[in-house]
Amino acid sequence: MSLTIALPKGKLLAGAQALFRKAELPFPETDGRRLVVSVDGLRFLLVKDMDVPTYVEYGVADCGVAGRDVLLEAGSDVYEPLDLGFGRCRLVVARAREAAAPAATSTVRVATKYPRVTAAHFRQRGVSAEVVRLSGSVELAPGLGLADCIVDVVETGRTLQENGLEVVEEVAASTARLVVNPASFHARRDEVAALIARLRAALP
Amino acid sequence: MAAHTLIEVPSGVQCFVGEEARRRREIESRVLGVFEGWAYEEIIPPLFDYADVFSGPALTAKTYSFVSRDGSLLALRPDFTSLIAKIAAGRLADRPAPLRLYYSGEVLRYEPPKAGRQGELYQMGLERLGGDRLRGDAEVLAIAAESLEAAGAGDFVLAVGHVGVFAGLLRDCEVEPTSVESLRERVEAKDEGGVREALERARVPPPVADAVRRLSRLSGGREVLEEASRAFAFSEPARTAVAELQAVAAALAAAGLEPRVSIDLGEVRGLDYYTGLVFRAFARGLGFEVGGGGRYDALLSRFGRPLPAVGFMLGLDRLALLLEKQGRGAARPAAAAETVAGGDLADDLRRARERRSAGARIRLADGR
Repeated sequence: MSLTIALPKGKLLAGAQALFRKAELPFPETDGRRLVVSVDGLRFLLVKDMDVPTYVEYGVADCGVAGRDVLLEAGSDVYEPLDLGFGRCRLVVARAREAAAPAATSTVRVATKYPRVTAAHFRQRGVSAEVVRLSGSVELAPGLGLADCIVDVVETGRTLQENGLEVVEEVAASTARLVVNPASFHARRDEVAALIARLRAALP
Repeated sequence: MAAHTLIEVPSGVQCFVGEEARRRREIESRVLGVFEGWAYEEIIPPLFDYADVFSGPALTAKTYSFVSRDGSLLALRPDFTSLIAKIAAGRLADRPAPLRLYYSGEVLRYEPPKAGRQGELYQMGLERLGGDRLRGDAEVLAIAAESLEAAGAGDFVLAVGHVGVFAGLLRDCEVEPTSVESLRERVEAKDEGGVREALERARVPPPVADAVRRLSRLSGGREVLEEASRAFAFSEPARTAVAELQAVAAALAAAGLEPRVSIDLGEVRGLDYYTGLVFRAFARGLGFEVGGGGRYDALLSRFGRPLPAVGFMLGLDRLALLLEKQGRGAARPAAAAETVAGGDLADDLRRARERRSAGARIRLADGR
């Protein structure tokens, strides 16, 4: 039985492909339709970025590639033995450039795709926050009056700038990680250790 | 009150019928047979007790508690170990140590149903209270392995660690509890980069920091313990913990259990509870642990009978799920039943009782 690896279909896929190629590991040719692909002794699942931790936590996949941002949000019980280095971004709090600083005592309304991380971030700072969950185009929320600020990932900051937003603080830094199911890590120790070693050797 | 129909089920409860129930009973009886075989005695503790018996921050948040008529706060048992510790210190106070006790039954927790975890969990476990530490640790691991084998599980391993390594390395560094927790969480995730950052934030000095960083890679066969004993030689408590683990691992290997053991020094869960060896049982086919346990030498002093203790439990729900996924451990089908019918009620009932006395499985049919 071969190892099953969950890959994110989104923007981390190209980085994962480059790394697997460099490690001389098989990687699926993606036509966007086939979501379960076996190549040379490895089985790949192509799933939504946010779902990678779930497939790995339940053991449907032995390993996966997921951003640290997604892992923080999922709070899954998985191992993260390798920082793969690509997909570098920051999870930040941002608000409108011209906005007046909110009064320290008022409840802040925050739009985000990361409700768990957002709620924990404000709670730990002693700030009451109302979290508005969105699944995309979060940067529009402050301008339209849906929220006072947002928590989202930024790479270059250009999207924020174009929407009149500025970074207030950083919540976390993120890169792509290799994640491993704990049961697979132990019950399939040799195969998993070999995969980790191959990928580690290919890291810059 | 939320509107619901009378046949709707609340979240987290389960119901087993016929074949499934029989399978569970069969697994349970095989596991309990192993516990009996190692001369552990069954204990059937109460379903509820005073809420303060079950303390610990992790558990309190998940406990169903309620107020008794006399105003005392009670709780449905969220685990067995605290109850057994209490009974060992109270009702069984005169019994000489070591006490060997086992249990099997439900615990109740507020827990979102997830990954084979329900609000109502069926646990089979045992506790060895008092006695020699290394013998206790080795015995409990051997019983865990035998129980999984007896239940029919294949391809399983016990991932064994020792919280005294991590705790021992940090002992003489003044690190705040919140920093220890964020560091522990990254060690548990085997995230070397995250561990490095947490060490820098907590200003852990170099020799200790270098050692803690290695924990995430110290997993595998017994050889990792040799590496650990060299790398942690500078820290007396960490060295002692590794030596304990080496002694237990050597005994298990000599008893033929080496293929069942996977050493993992990054296994650092439950630092507020466990004090020594810890382990989790994993098997191919199930993504989460089927059970686990460890040494908790501090718990019994809470109840006024300070005894070192070690125990483990297997989750029946997860074990049943594992066996189903592995296609093993199917229950023997029930014997065919004879139909008793044809006479009037008095005749049939008399005949049914006769056949029952003869040991037959019968079905009293309706009509003639």
